[in-house]
Amino acid sequence: MVNVYEAQAANKRKSALIMALFILFVSAAVYVISQAMGVYFGYEPGGLGVAGIAFIISGIITFVSYYASDKIVLSISGARPADRKKDFNFYTVVENLSIASGIPKPKLYVIEDTAPNAFATGRDPDHAVVCATTGLLQKLDRTELEGVIAHELSHIKNYDTRLMSIVAVLVGMIALLADMFLRISFRGGRGERRGNQASAIFLLLGIVFAILSPIIARLIQLAVSRRREFLADASSVAITRQPSGLISALEIIAKDHEPLEAANKATAHLYIVNPFKEKGHGAVDWFASLFNTHPPVTERIAALRKMA
Amino acid sequence: MPYILIGIGVILLLWFISTYNFFVSSKARIKGAVQEIGNQLKRQAELIPNLEASVKGYLKHESGIFEKLTEARRAIASAVESGNAQKMADAGAKLAAVLPSLTIAVEDNPELKGSDVVGKLMDELRDTADKVMYARRLVIDLTADYNVRRVAMPSSLVANMFKFDELAGLITPSEGKHLKVSEEETKTPKVKI
Repeated sequence: MVNVYEAQAANKRKSALIMALFILFVSAAVYVISQAMGVYFGYEPGGLGVAGIAFIISGIITFVSYYASDKIVLSISGARPADRKKDFNFYTVVENLSIASGIPKPKLYVIEDTAPNAFATGRDPDHAVVCATTGLLQKLDRTELEGVIAHELSHIKNYDTRLMSIVAVLVGMIALLADMFLRISFRGGRGERRGNQASAIFLLLGIVFAILSPIIARLIQLAVSRRREFLADASSVAITRQPSGLISALEIIAKDHEPLEAANKATAHLYIVNPFKEKGHGAVDWFASLFNTHPPVTERIAALRKMA
Repeated sequence: MPYILIGIGVILLLWFISTYNFFVSSKARIKGAVQEIGNQLKRQAELIPNLEASVKGYLKHESGIFEKLTEARRAIASAVESGNAQKMADAGAKLAAVLPSLTIAVEDNPELKGSDVVGKLMDELRDTADKVMYARRLVIDLTADYNVRRVAMPSSLVANMFKFDELAGLITPSEGKHLKVSEEETKTPKVKI
């Protein structure tokens, strides 16, 4: 038995821990790769300038998607604005839960698709968007819908879009940096190499890091994403006080095997349940689960039952 | 070395300011949340005349319900005017007590149950009842947050320094029937069909 507050606090602690680990890893990778680049360029601190360039490029790309996330996602998904009369339950449930969580009512959209799913995005609570599919609105009753919406509003309240954007900037930077380094080293590196042992070690380490760090960074990014899902589940229960609603909603959504047409890989992490659905069992399962944006539904339900 | 000390000093000062700000802004937010309860109750009270008007013709024999509804509405109006959270909560409870009997009366009447207007109004009523409940939830959550930070280390140091009082939030009697489970309630209810 875990009470809601402790579940929330534990999830916050764990996600802070993952973030600390992530930043530590990014700093180490940037340091090693830029040192190794310095060897090619012939002077030591040169690589840091390259890291700066990688940071700026990745930052600009992510900033655009962060700043306009609501508009981009909505135009990709082909959503229509929700209507109070037509989508009475959806509209009013969001209104009510916004009161409870003390955030302004987000903009509401509906995707015409029978696969039940929902997502939230937007850079801060003032520019937030909650979007649900017609399938979700038809298949869930009001209590279940409250669970799902409270989960989405928790993402908004916890600034998850912002957090994931920061993580994405850093992952993008590592990928760019590693890519640049590998290109330079495959070309053979024209600068005369000094036979100093330290630079040889950095060169070797640089190659190892350049190959591995984009994957590792991506894995940590996914771990952050999964942790935020658990946190949003716990926060959802803190708002509605009815774990049963979210549990049965997750069961209904998971049981439905129809893939969501409007979703693609770039937007998958936003949804309440992975829109591509989970397949595969056994030994492969654990490995595959490392690459998932969402924790398995069964694990989420088990965590929720402990709070019930 | 002196730079490290200055750095620590700056961090401490920032922490101090943000903790102080947490307490004062929580107080302001709780005040706002209490007003929100009043706001929602008022909405609820305004919906009821519409519902009454559309069902009164069918439910002439249930005049007792309508008397109680009117009375509850008056209580809400005066409680909202007074701005007292406790009075508002009491008035809301009064109304909530009448609504189920109205729901039953409507459901017993097939003519009404089938009517679109009444169905919509009943939806709206359920929705406002939820809104009032969630507005109260916000007061409860904000107050609990405030009260925890007030006594927990290290923010309690700031709270003590500025004498931030414990806030009551929604007053619930700390003793009484609602905290006890009677013998009756432990039995699983049997439903006869």
